[in-house]
Amino acid sequence: MSIAFKPEETFRGDYSYRNSDAAVLRFPFPFPEDRYMYSVNIEPHVRSGPSDVFLRPFDVDEHYIAECRDKAITLERDPGRCQVLPHMMMAQWDTLELLMESLSADYPEQFSLIKEGDDFGSRWTWINRPLGIEQSFIFGNAETLPCEPFEYITRQAQGDFAICDQRDDNLYMDAGMVTSQADWSLEFDVGMSFMEWHGPVPLAHQSGVFERALKYLLMLRLGQPVRRLNWTMSINPRLDTSPESYPEWGPDRASVTPDNAGQKVHLRVELQTLWRLPRSNAILFPIRCYLASLEDLARVPKWGARLHRVLSSLPPQLVEYKGLTRYLPAALEWLAQHDDGRELPVGTEAGITTLSPR
Amino acid sequence: MLHSDIKSRPIYTQLEPDLSGSQHLLIVEGDTVLPGRLDSLAGTFAPVEEQLHTWLVGTQAGGLGLGKVWRLPDVADVVDAFACATRGYGIGDRLYVQGTEPFLWSVAKAAAIIGFSADQIHLHHAGSLRRRVWCTHCHTVTENVTTSIASCAGCHRHLLVRDHFSRRLGAFMGVMVDAEAPGEVPAVEENFA
Repeated sequence: MSIAFKPEETFRGDYSYRNSDAAVLRFPFPFPEDRYMYSVNIEPHVRSGPSDVFLRPFDVDEHYIAECRDKAITLERDPGRCQVLPHMMMAQWDTLELLMESLSADYPEQFSLIKEGDDFGSRWTWINRPLGIEQSFIFGNAETLPCEPFEYITRQAQGDFAICDQRDDNLYMDAGMVTSQADWSLEFDVGMSFMEWHGPVPLAHQSGVFERALKYLLMLRLGQPVRRLNWTMSINPRLDTSPESYPEWGPDRASVTPDNAGQKVHLRVELQTLWRLPRSNAILFPIRCYLASLEDLARVPKWGARLHRVLSSLPPQLVEYKGLTRYLPAALEWLAQHDDGRELPVGTEAGITTLSPR
Repeated sequence: MLHSDIKSRPIYTQLEPDLSGSQHLLIVEGDTVLPGRLDSLAGTFAPVEEQLHTWLVGTQAGGLGLGKVWRLPDVADVVDAFACATRGYGIGDRLYVQGTEPFLWSVAKAAAIIGFSADQIHLHHAGSLRRRVWCTHCHTVTENVTTSIASCAGCHRHLLVRDHFSRRLGAFMGVMVDAEAPGEVPAVEENFA
């Protein structure tokens, strides 16, 4: 499968990121109904679903090269975005193996992995054609890679990655590569337990969502990954919306008007998957971020109307927590023109296969 | 006693000796001891007095016989004492700490470095509610914050003190309050006196 990469696009400065028609149609739209509330919306991560992003365990799309470059810029400015506590080396190799095997099997035109054996001590060669990388190394020997294995492989993958160590019937966020996060700080959260790092989320604690989710995840089995979608909104197609860089992107929230909301306001959807790792028994938690402007989304009539209804009926605590307060009225005013009040079918599918011209 | 629905902040309890331990170390921030309260602590720890060491830190609060007593001027001296400890601490050791939240976590972090596990450490919050605040932007720690918004000791931004606590940093998160509209700083409230 060939992918038409857009290596020059940017996620900062002039924000030249754009979605092709195909990318709009495969967007993982997260709202099956006209209202939204937190739930334990976890399902098996199988190779099918209402969007093509579910067809492969680790989705690679047209933004791959540009996104890896943006990650490198963020890491250059703030190396603390990648942190691994010392006891996590086994989980680092587990992650490298999972990603290299999945990517090379699902995208053979782009990635190859040549292994002289499966066990620690074997010589492996990794080829990443889009980024122009060829690297031979000894699996299990970190000194044969240019950096530690978790950082090495997650620099070559879209999205963020956390690794949760499992002990005392709890999960601890003991490693992370976090450069495209929705306003949470790895430096602050690293080492925290599951309940601690979810501490600031409103409403969900009271309804027991986190207890149920934790119980479920502690039983996660090897080879049976699960997934859920989460969402927020961002002004401009910016991956690095970290609290660290909030002074840079915060002012953008005050720049939204009903006239420019269609281009400026983006729905930010996270495809979160969870994987039991084989040697360490840790859980790998990739958080893959997809961005689409309101204009993009309104090209799918069902999505434009549904987003208007979801955002109109959002509980005020969520509006505040997701940071929408300042620009939500302008976004709603823009979206209202795409909602004629008709009944919409349940489900997240686009319901169309081509878009009308822009 | 500190009540809170902040999920990331631990629940602090009253101190009492853990009789499964063989050596007991009680570290008390002196100016959090109310008159008469040290006597009451002495009573509480009487069952383990033979195996008890007490470190009194800062302002001297009475001179009572809580096992072997050692006086230290400042929490930094506690951290140094742990860092330079010549005797090895092991699984039989129990650590009890009383003080303000920044004091508790300075001591707990120093103890963790020399091998104390979480279940060997008992923390009791007493005294001021003042907070240590970690700046999300420049990562500087600002001490003794009693207000809802504080100026960062490092980058001088106005930080909103969020109810999100990191045990590793022993600090609450501070986030620039006027990032979206520079200069729009809400009224400052004295919340953590």
